[in-house]
Amino acid sequence: MNLLTNLINGIGLGSVYAIIALGYTMVYGIAKMLNFAHGDVIMVGAYMCFCATTYLNLPVPAAILIAMVVCTVLGVLIEGLAYKPLRRAGSLAVLITAIGVSYFLQNMALLIWGSAPKTFTSVVPFGAVSLFGGELIISWETIITVLANIVIMIGLALFTKMSRTGKAMRAVSEDKDAAELMGINVNKTISITFAIGSALAAIAGVLLCSSYPVLMPTTGSMPGIKAFTAAVFGGIGSIPGAMLGGLLLGIIEIFAKSYISTQLSDAIVFGVLIVVLLVKPTGLLGKKIAEKV
Amino acid sequence: MGKILEVNDINVYYNQIHAIRDVSLEVNEGEIVALIGANGAGKSTTLRTISGLLRSKTGSIIFDGEDISKVDAYKLVSRGLSQVPEGRRIFLQMTVQENLDMGAFTRKDGIKESMRAVFEQFPRLKERRNQVAGTLSGGEQQMLAMGRAIMSRPKLLMLDEPSMGLSPILVQQVFDIIKLLHESGTTILLVEQNAEMALEIADRAYVLESGSIKLSGTGAELAASEEIKKAYLGG
Repeated sequence: MNLLTNLINGIGLGSVYAIIALGYTMVYGIAKMLNFAHGDVIMVGAYMCFCATTYLNLPVPAAILIAMVVCTVLGVLIEGLAYKPLRRAGSLAVLITAIGVSYFLQNMALLIWGSAPKTFTSVVPFGAVSLFGGELIISWETIITVLANIVIMIGLALFTKMSRTGKAMRAVSEDKDAAELMGINVNKTISITFAIGSALAAIAGVLLCSSYPVLMPTTGSMPGIKAFTAAVFGGIGSIPGAMLGGLLLGIIEIFAKSYISTQLSDAIVFGVLIVVLLVKPTGLLGKKIAEKV
Repeated sequence: MGKILEVNDINVYYNQIHAIRDVSLEVNEGEIVALIGANGAGKSTTLRTISGLLRSKTGSIIFDGEDISKVDAYKLVSRGLSQVPEGRRIFLQMTVQENLDMGAFTRKDGIKESMRAVFEQFPRLKERRNQVAGTLSGGEQQMLAMGRAIMSRPKLLMLDEPSMGLSPILVQQVFDIIKLLHESGTTILLVEQNAEMALEIADRAYVLESGSIKLSGTGAELAASEEIKKAYLGG
């Protein structure tokens, strides 16, 4: 039963990583940049939800909605103000800017909410499900996180496959100039991608803090880095890759924590990443298409 | 016969390099106009400037009666300007059908009819409509690139090196298709390194050398010119 409990917890944690990794991978796919501020958007989302429920006494669905709206606006603003002027600049300039935006967000949060951790009240009002006479206990947070992850994955897959905007996103991610020649507004499409990624970050923030209720300005950075790792692990730019990478990373982390060592778990997680990249540099589901001439 | 495109004195720079010098050209409705010249003469740069991917420092580009030299590239498609870029640039990870859908991105109706017309013109594409474009052969990819451009129902179709990298038989096929498109009423601006074939089908042509227009005339005139024969036709 212990094994099963760990597996389920791993899938729960991995689902959060997967949702965050989606934001990294979508933005990378379309703008060919690593948005290192993505993890901090998660933190902003969690604070927004916290403030809405604690100070404004709003119901949970309204609080989540507010968090999503604020993060969406924030994501579009970050893209428009910080990254768009650098569209034709070198990737190093963009990377440094992204790190700058990340520190900016963390320090803004420090100014607004202070450094003392807040205790995040879980958005899930139920306790836990007890199975097999109390031998297997699954928290509702885990169940809802996994369900949310599944819904988001299916939704995104349908969106990119079927919708006009989704197809435009795929076209832009493959070839910006060619997309422009089809009449696609490339800048608008990139903004939409940031908007979707940031809205997902808000959901991830709320889910993460519901399971791990300590909220402070640096809350987003470690899960952000791990989710980035998950995206690379699964093959950056690939949506199913983000899902697979996130889940595997979560499971490896929880297993490492309970069977090997709590202190070493992060080292093990990143060690596995290094091994995977050595064997398959494009990540598990990363694609490499040879161009025909 | 009205003018569909009028390019007046454009100058384009890549950083310090003056790539296009005082280029002017025009295309009348219903014509095939060829732009020929050696590698690096500035043919593609000229096309990319017309379609808005690059900007000219001077002059104007009048398309269908309006100056488009400051208009965003993506807005030109719905005005009737379509370009098949050099190297085809189809979306390799999308299916054939999805590529054609992208060609009709700015259109609201009549897409099905256009799709049917494209499939009639290129039966190979119909057979492979659900296949990922990256698995097509080079010739099929060129057909797809052209079909995709036609899906926007352009008033002016600009083709950038459509014969590049294709075997002689496929080159002949591509030129036959260009002729067919022209006969069905599409105005065409054709950039080609294969001067012989381009001059054969062109009503008029311009010769670009080191970023400037060196000669212009009807296709037949240029094909007969000693200078052209020596420089571009290998005789």
